[in-house]
Amino acid sequence: MKALESDAPLIVYVDIKSPYAFAAIRPTLAMEKSLGMRFDWRPLTLDIPSYLGSARKKEGKVVESTRSTSQWSWVKYAYRDARRYAERQGLMLKGTEKIWDSSIPNIAILWVMQTDRDRLGDYFEAVYPPFWRRELDIEDITVVEACLEKAGIDSSGFAEFAQGEGRRQHDKLQPQLHPSGIYGVPTYVIDGTILFGREHLPYVRWHLQGREGPAPDMAYEIDDIEAASC
Amino acid sequence: MLTIYIDFKSPASYLALEPTLAMARETGVAIDWLPFSVRALSVPEEQENESVGDRHRRVRAAAQRDIHLHYAAVQGLDMHFAKTPAGSDAALAALAVMDGDPDPFLRAAFAAYWTDQADLADEGVVAALLQSVGIDQPDWKSAHAKTASIRDHAEQSGIFEAPSYRIADQLFLGREHLPWIKSLIAAELGQ
Repeated sequence: MKALESDAPLIVYVDIKSPYAFAAIRPTLAMEKSLGMRFDWRPLTLDIPSYLGSARKKEGKVVESTRSTSQWSWVKYAYRDARRYAERQGLMLKGTEKIWDSSIPNIAILWVMQTDRDRLGDYFEAVYPPFWRRELDIEDITVVEACLEKAGIDSSGFAEFAQGEGRRQHDKLQPQLHPSGIYGVPTYVIDGTILFGREHLPYVRWHLQGREGPAPDMAYEIDDIEAASC
Repeated sequence: MLTIYIDFKSPASYLALEPTLAMARETGVAIDWLPFSVRALSVPEEQENESVGDRHRRVRAAAQRDIHLHYAAVQGLDMHFAKTPAGSDAALAALAVMDGDPDPFLRAAFAAYWTDQADLADEGVVAALLQSVGIDQPDWKSAHAKTASIRDHAEQSGIFEAPSYRIADQLFLGREHLPWIKSLIAAELGQ
């Protein structure tokens, strides 16, 4: 798997622990469905402490932090912003109490793509909303297996995949991302153009529909598509 | 009333200008443009023994620059990133004390910065820009003092980047929020 190459018309990089990816999932799935296309969904497991500092909260209070004032401003705004857009979709977004290792549920994206592609939206519905309601321990493989089963996906063999071939595929992809110009989620790769953030969905749609008329500017769309569950 | 904090050296502020003015024309909302100096976008050189964090910041800065250039092309704007970004303090000070319609100055100052790499920290350069749009240069000392006062107030209210839009007690960072901002304006104006 090469970071910028795919047979699909669009590559979408996501991470279960990203609030921005959470807010982008339903609109992106809705666009995929409305265009009648199959996107190439892939995991990007963010190494948040390396660029945003780290912090741990307990009972709503920060008990450990290496973040600067500027980093805190960005983090707080990012959560507030993702939360209000999630709420427009009828979703709850609670700030996480620690920085999670999301590699297991992200490897599950590869598992679903390779074993039961049509249920990817169901998997996202089974893992994203409860994780952001603080109901899931996504570092526990049995929890991720339960999410797969809830989505109607056979999880037998997933544990072996997550520790073997799936982990290898995931770990081989991650170091390719920075050198390819990819650093966050959601990232859309369309004909080699890298677009970070769901504000680019109007442009992505325009491109996938044949680039007719003037190209649209970036925007967070707030129409009925966002409110619809996939 | 929609309050927007901008900086001329912020590429996102430049790209927000015309879409925001178009929305204002469409809705009839009045805009209070206020100065808020931010750090210029610069792309660090790749270093030997780069940490993951350093590499992330370099890749992110390069990607942000490329996205700005991408949408500048979409908007039909000429945009060039200088190797050493110029300042904007004098233009921000002029904006802080400006009476009347600021739009011609905003357009002139943004274009000068992003097309010609004009140094908008130079009061002489800004005075010439003001003159080109029929505005007298301000008393610079009081203009800079007003800029500092606006910044203090902005920071206390949670502003930390540009362009920032404040409406109905909500803060939005970036023009990508214009659809929601427009809906709030419509609700405020009873449209």
